[in-house]
Amino acid sequence: MSRIRSLITVSLLGSMVFPTAVAAQEMIADTTSRKQALTSWGVQFEELEYRYSDDDEELGVWSADFFYGTDDLKVRWLTKGEYAIEEQAYEGLENQLVAQVPISDFFDAKAGVRFDTPEGPDRTYAVLGITGLAPQWFEIDANLYVNEEGDTSAGLDAEYELLLTNYWILSAAVDATVAFSEDREIGVGKGLVSTETGLRLSYDLVDRAFSPYIGVVHERKYGDTADIAEAESGSTEDWFAVIGARIAF
Amino acid sequence: MKVRLLTGLLSLLMPALVLAGEYNLTVDRVEIDTGDFVKEGIGYNGKSPGPVLRFKEGEDVRINVTNNLDEATSIHWHGLILPFEQDGVPGISFPGIQPGETFTYEFPITQAGTYWFHSHSGFQEPDGAFGAIVIEPEGREPFRYDREYVIQLTDKHPHSGDRIMRNLKMMPDYYNRQQQTVGEFFSDASSNGLMDTIQDRMAWGDMRMMKADVEDVQGFTGMINGKGPAQNWTGLFEPGERVRLRFINSSAMTYFDVRIPGLDMTVVQADGNNIQPVNVDEFRIGVAETYDVIVHPKDERAHTIFAESMGRSGYARATLAPEEGMEAPVPPMRDPARLTMADMAGMPGMDHGDMDHSSMENMDDSNMQDMDHGSMDGMDHSKMGGDDGQPSDPFYAKGSGIMPVAANDGKFLSYADLKAQKPLYEEREPTREIELRLTGNMERYTWSINGVKYEDADPIRLQYGERVRFKFVNETMMTHPMHLHGMWSILDVGAGKWNPIKHTVSVQPGTTVYMETEVDAPGQWAFHCHLSYHAAAGMFRKVIVEGGPDSTQAKTDVAIEEGGDA
Amino acid sequence: MNASKFLVIAAVVSMPAATFAAGADGHGHGMASGEPGKASQASRTINVEMYDNYYEPEMIDVEPGETVRFVVENKGNLVHEFNIGTPGMHDAHQKEMKMMVEHGVIQGGQIHHDMMNMDMGNGHSMKHDDPNSVLLEPGESQEVVWTFSDKGNVEFACNVPGHYQAGMYGEINLK
Repeated sequence: MSRIRSLITVSLLGSMVFPTAVAAQEMIADTTSRKQALTSWGVQFEELEYRYSDDDEELGVWSADFFYGTDDLKVRWLTKGEYAIEEQAYEGLENQLVAQVPISDFFDAKAGVRFDTPEGPDRTYAVLGITGLAPQWFEIDANLYVNEEGDTSAGLDAEYELLLTNYWILSAAVDATVAFSEDREIGVGKGLVSTETGLRLSYDLVDRAFSPYIGVVHERKYGDTADIAEAESGSTEDWFAVIGARIAF
Repeated sequence: MKVRLLTGLLSLLMPALVLAGEYNLTVDRVEIDTGDFVKEGIGYNGKSPGPVLRFKEGEDVRINVTNNLDEATSIHWHGLILPFEQDGVPGISFPGIQPGETFTYEFPITQAGTYWFHSHSGFQEPDGAFGAIVIEPEGREPFRYDREYVIQLTDKHPHSGDRIMRNLKMMPDYYNRQQQTVGEFFSDASSNGLMDTIQDRMAWGDMRMMKADVEDVQGFTGMINGKGPAQNWTGLFEPGERVRLRFINSSAMTYFDVRIPGLDMTVVQADGNNIQPVNVDEFRIGVAETYDVIVHPKDERAHTIFAESMGRSGYARATLAPEEGMEAPVPPMRDPARLTMADMAGMPGMDHGDMDHSSMENMDDSNMQDMDHGSMDGMDHSKMGGDDGQPSDPFYAKGSGIMPVAANDGKFLSYADLKAQKPLYEEREPTREIELRLTGNMERYTWSINGVKYEDADPIRLQYGERVRFKFVNETMMTHPMHLHGMWSILDVGAGKWNPIKHTVSVQPGTTVYMETEVDAPGQWAFHCHLSYHAAAGMFRKVIVEGGPDSTQAKTDVAIEEGGDA
Repeated sequence: MNASKFLVIAAVVSMPAATFAAGADGHGHGMASGEPGKASQASRTINVEMYDNYYEPEMIDVEPGETVRFVVENKGNLVHEFNIGTPGMHDAHQKEMKMMVEHGVIQGGQIHHDMMNMDMGNGHSMKHDDPNSVLLEPGESQEVVWTFSDKGNVEFACNVPGHYQAGMYGEINLK
């Protein structure tokens, strides 16, 4: 990209006729921020909530996302955690750092790494996924994971927002995980692993920056994963009442 | 043109006779109180909006601009014909004005009418950095009035420009509080039938487009001359006087529909240029446009100047009254506007003749085909104007949901009504046509021209002396006020030599609009959508005029290879 | 020309004739402005120049009952009218003129005389030939001879749509 500057020379005659164009002017190149790709950033806590289960279990849960970048390339840090309040221990903690690029009008591809600190040994995964908006306004996030042991799994998150009014929003979210191989150390069996289904009613209290909500969440484990959980006398199905807030800034 | 050239010569030969005016402006951090909220903003000479600069045609002005901010600034003289170095666009006209610096603009005033000035740096203009320009003509005006007021509109938002841009990038519907709800679904179902309503929602959902995308940025307080609706700016008149109102839309994003219940308005100027007078009941003023109207209040009573936003999310209000403190009723806002499939007609894939296959790749083609036809049946027949005697405006898509209708069912100004009072240019065949497709992606909040954002675009190169016909094809669902700096936009309203000249041309969704430009100003100029956040997102171009006024040598020696740079 | 357009134009055309009748027989609103005069009776000649969109002069003094010969010249670039009447008469005439513009009889600087001369079949033509007014293209000149009554509130005006509202009228002061 050459940046040879252009020169404009105006004749004496010309400058007399057009007195305003008198000075020999250097035509400048646009080096202002306007000419650079617009960088943006944002922080969104899709979930930041207190969960109370039908087994009297209390959890603090978040699912958040920080991004920085341009239209063409964004870096995104996704963090999810479930903290058991009585046990004072994480039931799950997951961090992803991905690079995200657009691949179509409504979808982005992403690639990066995921660090899990679950019950049991830590896991590191390579992540490949797509995220975007499907027809009929379904927000989709689908990912493929491969960990250092060679175990592969996939996750699909879908969310739909129903506008009761322009401030009262009912959102339905489904997360499903499928494992293509068993990873017994972290309690994952082959096949459909688990689903988490949530229904949350929120109110936009401060712009879209602070939206408190209440809701219900249903978690369930399936197949071999459920068997493993049962063998370890864990629960395979939980209902939670949740209260929290969506935050964006 | 010849007259101007001559004026230029005369002014050179007789410097002693030339009027010269010196003006001082400071660029300051100011407090802006809308009545709804107080925020920090940017203003001139200590307030926002800044002062009304009053010039005289034929005058040489010197304007000293002192930057008291801690960031660079600039002033663009919107609509003024001047040498490009004085045009005030950082990176295109000049480097900008650094903190603490005083920059002196010097240019001759070669025109008359109502214009405005604003910062062209960052989001200073939406933050309040603008003011009005009134230029008195050398001869008499082609109309009469006893007093005049500037009516400068804006859409003051509690958030800063930077914050708004970031929120839009994060969530493009961040500020849209007119989205279709469950309640609207049921009310539509009861009036249009359940199946039609489902079909309609599915059609829009398939496109991932919202009927409610009329205004990107809602939540503003409409202001007139720095006063919010509750603060009620008031202009006084004596009954029987003719009052000239110089409307200027200095909004960042908002089109206003303006009316003065109880008064007929006669539009006499558009974008500073005299037009053949048109009597109207209401008019829509695009962002950056100006309209001068004459009203003739005869009775001892107050009148409300009511300016509703195009999407009906907010309004500005002022009063014309015989005495301070008098008020007239403030009408309620009409229902929010909804786009129709007609407004989508310019989208690639909607118009099959003009389909851009590359951008269709990731869409489900079979769905698109169905939807196109299915959705047109059974929806929005109520809004299909034209044939059945409903109001129709050739500058809106046929059946558009945002085609304006006067509140009193009277006359609503159309671009088609604008005819030059005295054509500035001879009519001639354009030397060539340049197509500019206005493009974007609402879900990503990217805006572009021909699918290319400014950061990736080559400049548009024009040759001095040519007459270029620009063809704007709006492929988005939003209205774009396109502003070419430095040269007049001769808007094709089908009136031949009477086509009006403007500085800002609104292109409605689903429409194609033509304008011609006599390339008579050497240098380089900005050309962009005047919606602040669309321009910043990339709907912007640099125009380079190659060659100069004198053929022997003054050819702009474009020893350039500006390529990807400019 | 389709039927509806024809009817509208026919209606427009028939209206000036009514105005004329009112002015001539001394009844109705025409009375206030006076009546057509004979050039031979004119006490004086006043030259009125029409520009875009104003008159020179913009104020004229007349004696009640005086007959004045106006020589009206259009020095502008647009079609203009010189019409003597009360504000009410002008208001009514503007509605007719608006239709003429909407139907393309007047366009910018042109009057389509072929449309005006068309026989509408009901004894009326499109001619704008009331004795209290002239409608001129740029460069044209015509005379109006008018005998003023002793009633006030008369003005001369251009009723091409928008022109009157923009200020193209002049005052007639009865001494």
